Amino acid sequence: MEIMRLVVTGPVGAGKSTFIRSVSEIEVVDTDRRATDEALLIKKRTTVAFDFGRLQFGPDMALHLYGTPGQSRFDFMWDILIQKAHAYILLVAAHRPHEFREARRIMMFMQQRSPVPMIIGLTHTDCPNAWDAANIALALGYPNPNRRPPLVTVNANETASVAQAVIALVQHTWSGSLATT
Amino acid sequence: MAISTEKLTHILQSFVTSTTDIQGAAVVTPDGLPLAASLPGSMDEERVSAMSAAMLSLGDRIGSELARGGIDRIYVEGDKGYGILTSCGEDAVFLVLADKAAKQGLLLLEIKRTLSELKAVLM
Repeated sequence: MEIMRLVVTGPVGAGKSTFIRSVSEIEVVDTDRRATDEALLIKKRTTVAFDFGRLQFGPDMALHLYGTPGQSRFDFMWDILIQKAHAYILLVAAHRPHEFREARRIMMFMQQRSPVPMIIGLTHTDCPNAWDAANIALALGYPNPNRRPPLVTVNANETASVAQAVIALVQHTWSGSLATT
Repeated sequence: MAISTEKLTHILQSFVTSTTDIQGAAVVTPDGLPLAASLPGSMDEERVSAMSAAMLSLGDRIGSELARGGIDRIYVEGDKGYGILTSCGEDAVFLVLADKAAKQGLLLLEIKRTLSELKAVLM
């Protein structure tokens, strides 16, 4: 059985824990604690170590999903998790533009430590004031649509939508490994 | 009543200075924010707090999923010393950094004593 480790990262409240809960076949190993920081404005509980979920992908591949904490004070966890990752998805809440800079910071952190493929998942796109994909890509530092990671829209609450995003990530990873061999 | 950071800091400082072989101590929230600390100068309070919270939450999880029950304490034993995390009620985690030379029995007693002092302030 081949295991592919996927990391789900992004700023606080992007939907990382929800994302993993939506597709995991096992009961998710979560480490959330009552939030006392700025996360409290968005939600009651926040991840302090990681979330872990598992998903069978075809007969001989299992996906292990690791969700990171969102706050940068947990960047040691970002580091631990990205070291072993085969690919990652950066979740960005489309309706909170003030967090795009933080999302970009997380992305830079990951890129400095690991060359593995990544895609961007836009969440909360159905909320009022949500930015469109092109503008978010721009805000994340990708002005050229032909030279950027794949961008997908995800509803972290919907299993089918999350599954689509996971498939996109796996496909992107495979196409990358084909290109380099 | 508001939590007095000064009192917490005072308790930690006297704990660190009066107990031999203790190098630092901190009280943090379960989501990894500093409440009070008396740490060696080279250590960043925010980072220490986040790490303490992450470790205790994982320990809790091991306790429940691997049927070890409620977690009182987590030990990290290195060749240079110990890091001991003790849960301090619902709202706090107590971290102690001790030298390799520290006597374990004494350490545990001192932690227990300080814990009750901290809890009195946190309640």
